[in-house]
Amino acid sequence: MAASPFTSRSPSMTVASPNTLRLRASAAQNGVVGATQASSTPTLNAGQELTEQLNADVRQRYVKDKKLGEGTYAVVYLGHLREDPSSFVAIKKIKVNAEYKDGLTMDAIREVKYLQELSHPNVIALHDVFSSKDQNLNLVLEFLPRGDLEMLIKDGDIQYGAADIKAWMGMLIRGVWFCHENFVLHRDIKPNNLLIASDGEVKLADFGLARSFADPYLNMTHQVITRWYRPPELLYGARQYSGAVDVWSMGMVFAELLLRVPFVAGNTDLDQISKISDAFGTPAEENWPGVTQLPNYIPTDPAHAVPLQGRDFFLRQFPTAGPVGADLLMSMCALDPRKRTTAYQALCHNWWTMDPQPTRNEDLPRKMGTKKMGDDLSRRGGDDDGPFKNAARQLDFGAMK
Amino acid sequence: MASKDDLDHRDEDEVCPVCKSSRYLNPNMRFLINPECYHKMCESCVDRIFSSGPSNCPVAGCRKTLRKNKFRAQTFEDIGVEREVDIRRRVMHILNRREEEFDSKRAYDDFLEQREEMIANLVSRIDVAKTEAQLQKYASENMQSIRTNQALEEQEASSFQARMTQEQEEARLRRQLAREQLENERREIQASREDMLNRLAAGSSADAAAIAREGHKVLLKKSSARRSEEDRIRQKQAALRSEMKRGAGAGELAGPSDSGLIKGLRKIKTPEPEKPYDPFMGYVPEKRDYYTLQSSYPSTYLDRIRNDTRMAAGGYDLKEYYSRTMLEAFAGLGCFIGEEVSRRDAGAEVKPAATAGAAMAAGGE
Repeated sequence: MAASPFTSRSPSMTVASPNTLRLRASAAQNGVVGATQASSTPTLNAGQELTEQLNADVRQRYVKDKKLGEGTYAVVYLGHLREDPSSFVAIKKIKVNAEYKDGLTMDAIREVKYLQELSHPNVIALHDVFSSKDQNLNLVLEFLPRGDLEMLIKDGDIQYGAADIKAWMGMLIRGVWFCHENFVLHRDIKPNNLLIASDGEVKLADFGLARSFADPYLNMTHQVITRWYRPPELLYGARQYSGAVDVWSMGMVFAELLLRVPFVAGNTDLDQISKISDAFGTPAEENWPGVTQLPNYIPTDPAHAVPLQGRDFFLRQFPTAGPVGADLLMSMCALDPRKRTTAYQALCHNWWTMDPQPTRNEDLPRKMGTKKMGDDLSRRGGDDDGPFKNAARQLDFGAMK
Repeated sequence: MASKDDLDHRDEDEVCPVCKSSRYLNPNMRFLINPECYHKMCESCVDRIFSSGPSNCPVAGCRKTLRKNKFRAQTFEDIGVEREVDIRRRVMHILNRREEEFDSKRAYDDFLEQREEMIANLVSRIDVAKTEAQLQKYASENMQSIRTNQALEEQEASSFQARMTQEQEEARLRRQLAREQLENERREIQASREDMLNRLAAGSSADAAAIAREGHKVLLKKSSARRSEEDRIRQKQAALRSEMKRGAGAGELAGPSDSGLIKGLRKIKTPEPEKPYDPFMGYVPEKRDYYTLQSSYPSTYLDRIRNDTRMAAGGYDLKEYYSRTMLEAFAGLGCFIGEEVSRRDAGAEVKPAATAGAAMAAGGE
């Protein structure tokens, strides 16, 4: 079997459920040993060899280059297709975790499970999965060379305006909307996880905490989402929640893009609740019916209660967004998750049609310097409208009039 | 002027090829040419032959019919150059595409080359009929664009002229202002000095020093006031100037004209009507092919949730459950794996073994 039956687009799952594995085994056997008409139920031994063969095929297709970075549970390498050195991928090698001796870590399973189903310009693409020696799981992901939104927010040398923020937020909300439309919660939206492709497109990455939602009677954990971006219902320990948690996170990202500092940055979960209360108003039965029944609800001293902030507050706090943008932000930051806008409603907001128009991807501000090199490398052969376009423009005499 | 003198001196014994009278006999003799045949003759010959209407060229062997109103003075001594310049002017007048109308520098260069080729053809009389026909056809097809480009050219020329005169005028005003200032200053200094002297003459000797000091101070104050006034005027002028410049810039930005079809690669007329921003980028939201979602479905299994305020407070919404259940129930309808597999195999050229395997896998499901 020289060629794998899977196109490079669809993630071929070599670490798959036993059922698929059996099917593939029988299928391949029929193909390869078809003439001999072997027994219809393949032996375990043959099956194993076959999966190893399939896995090796996928693994052979990619070449690992240098290490790009290392996290707590994975190492990311830069890689490329063996037959096409100009097509770069990021290979995320999941570390073997001591806690999960018997199998894979939850994060890896979640990432594979949801990423293979989601295909959208604003969601990172999962090309392939294979296992290397010692049963290490490797995810072949889209290579996104231009860093993340956090880098842009923190870099004081980069200046951006309302139009750029609108473009970024549009891409972010689109990606999240697509996840929600397919009933996947991301549950870890923060600028750090919003990677930027070489064409400027913002992509939702790190689905290590993602899960499907809307199952009745099925509790979900409230210990998700980085604290600064965690919505009040999770801080109050809600076990049933909805896409509204991601919308809150997006609201926080929006505010951070506008202010260039995290908007409500608590040191502890309690501190986070008090900061949210100070900023947006104290959650109470009047503005959030049923909040007192949430498991970890802490009653506030009525003397220190802050009334729910109105439109004026957002207008004053976020003048860059303009009145309509402040409205959108306000609707994304509603304390009561039922009153919070959904990703779909956010995309229907009339802020998108207002002036200024969102910046086009190629004109978005970008981080210069070290990342630029990877940027150039990521250009595919014959891909004219990449970042290289700018370099060539200097030699364009036609433009110098 | 000097060149004309040169010409006159050199052509002391120049002779009109038609009437054979020479400059020696007629020092005021002027030669004229007609762009039909470029044969030169003296003014009196032109008057004599063509005053009564069009006639044939008097030069032997030339049968061109000439009219008097086309006769003009010669600009270049070499008649070949004169003719080429005429041809060039005419062709450039018609083929007046501008660089910004082309897709690339290359296309524009090709156009320039093509134009030069046509000019060269006409000058050296190669394929004249064909080239003329091409020109005529182009001119009639691209009337609109030719006219707009001409207008643009004129506008540019005139705006350049205007800018030049404006700059000159500004320089003149600046000089005048400086001169006036100098004059004023001088006069004021003199006036205050006289005033001081008068007062000194009138007052006692004790406050002489005080008066002198005061006079000096007044002078300083006046000059500083004048300076701020000048600054104000200068700023006003600068603002006015930049405004005018901006106006001129906007004028130049008139869009290029429509396309024609004879020459080279032409930029297809796409003014790019900036598409309105689509927040969904082409994705159809809430696309449901096989069902419509109800706002509520009766189910005893879910009744407990309907009344659970705690779940509601956390943001849990049964509608999402309905939506998801319905989506999953109908997901995959209208997807035909067999078709997709064959389409994929056609594209990817997978080996038959794999095809069979994939088909088996699909069928075994």
